[in-house]
Amino acid sequence: MAAERKSLSGRQFRAILKKDIVMELRTFEMLTSMGLYTLLTMVVYFVALAGAGQDFDVRKIAAGLIWLAFVFTSLLGLNRSLVHEHDQGVLDALLLSPIDRPVIFFAKAAGNFIFITIVEALSVPVFYFLFLQGKGFGGPLWMLPLSIVAASIGLSGIGTFLATMSVNSRGKDVLLAVLLIPLIYPLLLGAVSAASSSIVGGPHAFSEFWQAMGFIGGFDVIMLLASFGLYEFIVGA
Amino acid sequence: MARNKTTIATLALGGLLTTAAFLMAFLWAPMTDFGSVNIGGAEIARPDIAQKIFYFHVPVAEASFLVFFFVALYGALFLAKKDRVYDTKARIAAEVTLMFVILTMISGDLWTKASWDTWWVWEPRLTTYFIMTLLVVAYFVLRNSIEDEERRATYAAVFGIVAFLDAPLSFMITRWYRSIHPVVIGGASGSWLFGPRLVTFIVAQVGMLALGYAIYQLRMREELTKERIEAAKAALEG
Amino acid sequence: MSEDGAYAAIQVRDLVRSFGTRKALDGVSFELPRGAFLSIFGPNGAGKTTLVKVLTTLIAPSKGSAEVAGCDVVADAVQLRDKIGLISHNPLLYPDLNAQENLEFFAEMYGLEHPKERIDELLTAVELDHRRLDLVRTFSRGMLQRLSIARALLHHPDVLFLDEPYSGLDPHAMDILDSLIAQVRSEHTFVMISHDLDKGLELCSHALILARGRVVLFEPRSEIDEAVFAATYRTTVGTGVA
Repeated sequence: MAAERKSLSGRQFRAILKKDIVMELRTFEMLTSMGLYTLLTMVVYFVALAGAGQDFDVRKIAAGLIWLAFVFTSLLGLNRSLVHEHDQGVLDALLLSPIDRPVIFFAKAAGNFIFITIVEALSVPVFYFLFLQGKGFGGPLWMLPLSIVAASIGLSGIGTFLATMSVNSRGKDVLLAVLLIPLIYPLLLGAVSAASSSIVGGPHAFSEFWQAMGFIGGFDVIMLLASFGLYEFIVGA
Repeated sequence: MARNKTTIATLALGGLLTTAAFLMAFLWAPMTDFGSVNIGGAEIARPDIAQKIFYFHVPVAEASFLVFFFVALYGALFLAKKDRVYDTKARIAAEVTLMFVILTMISGDLWTKASWDTWWVWEPRLTTYFIMTLLVVAYFVLRNSIEDEERRATYAAVFGIVAFLDAPLSFMITRWYRSIHPVVIGGASGSWLFGPRLVTFIVAQVGMLALGYAIYQLRMREELTKERIEAAKAALEG
Repeated sequence: MSEDGAYAAIQVRDLVRSFGTRKALDGVSFELPRGAFLSIFGPNGAGKTTLVKVLTTLIAPSKGSAEVAGCDVVADAVQLRDKIGLISHNPLLYPDLNAQENLEFFAEMYGLEHPKERIDELLTAVELDHRRLDLVRTFSRGMLQRLSIARALLHHPDVLFLDEPYSGLDPHAMDILDSLIAQVRSEHTFVMISHDLDKGLELCSHALILARGRVVLFEPRSEIDEAVFAATYRTTVGTGVA
């Protein structure tokens, strides 16, 4: 019986994930708006850095700039993914089926993780192209994607969790921002530190990187566990 | 209600203790100093008067964290028992937390300005309490954004729990980050919190907690009375 | 459990659903035999939707108990979900998927063993086979409702809940809905919320009137005196609000 439930959960997980991907591929709603948003953020960066002068080493703040873009872009994507269930009240149909509520959480979070990392994978080269041309990375290159992926796990997890609440509120997007940003402060600090170890480097890059990754990992685990445990209370509340 | 008396007593106790602590801080606890200065051949200590804020700032900071814990606890109790009373308790606790955390920020800010001549510094405690302020404000924004009563209580309870989990994470990572990117901040060494200073500190801490509890109780009674009026109104209309 | 071994389809005992001072359901009790068709009437805010939500495990009761198809709505919620279907005035379908994909999705949710055959069977039954690859957002209201019925029937539920299924349908679509219900009538127990007194009475075997979370009237159709019923209906529902 337990094995049956597990395989049913697997089927349900895959079905929800597949549905979200198919719907996105059909409309490209999320990816285009997120991609555009990131691009626009870069334009604003250009304006912000315009007065900094030629000698200013953008690499020092590059990690922060990149993550700033990721956070605000993900706010867009997170709400959209939950709106699909909220409109038409389809969520009720999901809740009526014999599905363990946390499976809905993991499937939605996995979908969001995929979309966010796609946008991130496209944004980093664009950022490099616009701001870091001719400058090498101070630290090992592989640290950057690794840290981004690790932090994105936490971001999509807690983001999906909060978006499940904010989609039911007045002022959906604003509420998500108000809830998410203070909550992910620890994750952000870790992610920016880790990314900096890669971009800026320095004598302690390795140890700082792994310490930061420790924090990212800790945040991911704690927040994912909390979301997993609390999800059934908020979905369909 | 018998509660009336304990509330007044706690309020009085809290007021008394904090006042006592205030006096003790200035009249009894030994002054800390910045080292000494040579004036006309004599070594004169440079007193750190601003340090006195410590006797207020840290107690109120710790009290706010403790009350924040109760926000999470009452939230968890609400989720377990679905009794509306717990939601009210959580909300009032959040109000007290907000009040304390703002006092923490203000006193911390004054201390920073007085000690290091700058209005803000991204050091672990201040940063963490800034994040906590944002989290408690977010709690109230969340409550205001949900119209359905039961959903509001459920969402608030869940967010309260997650927010409380976030506070220590924020502190630890800021402390780590500051250890690798130090900002030059002078600080008292560990061994000075003994004797009269410790007593003053404890008096202040207990007083602050008592005040917090009393305020919480007073607000709870006010809320419960409000709810009973609402229930009576509904019954009359029905 | 009633005698002769056949369990009652629905058993509700002193069901209360409240939060704070607001009581959506205030001590509702009734018993519905298998194969019955229950029409629920009542003014807005009477608790009809809340009752259906409790019976379909979407909301938990505050007090009292309810059993549907032999399963307790709280203790056996997961098993119960396998046995119930809901047709609402919302189609509960994904607009950006086509009809087939929608049914495939829900088939996976219910863990069906032979989804393809079942989907083909249902699409034919609701006369949407020719539109199976069209996106649901292109469907008319009537087509949405038909597909919604297919969705609800995928997993062979024992009890079907209908929440104002006729609202917004044109006469042709209503006819199709009628014939579909008639097709599956004998195999299922039905619970329908309706604002249409005539339709509701025509289809039902039992009638329930709710007002302010309480049962005003619960009777088998055979025992209903039309005039008395109409009068009760007018006085409770006619006022418009609970």
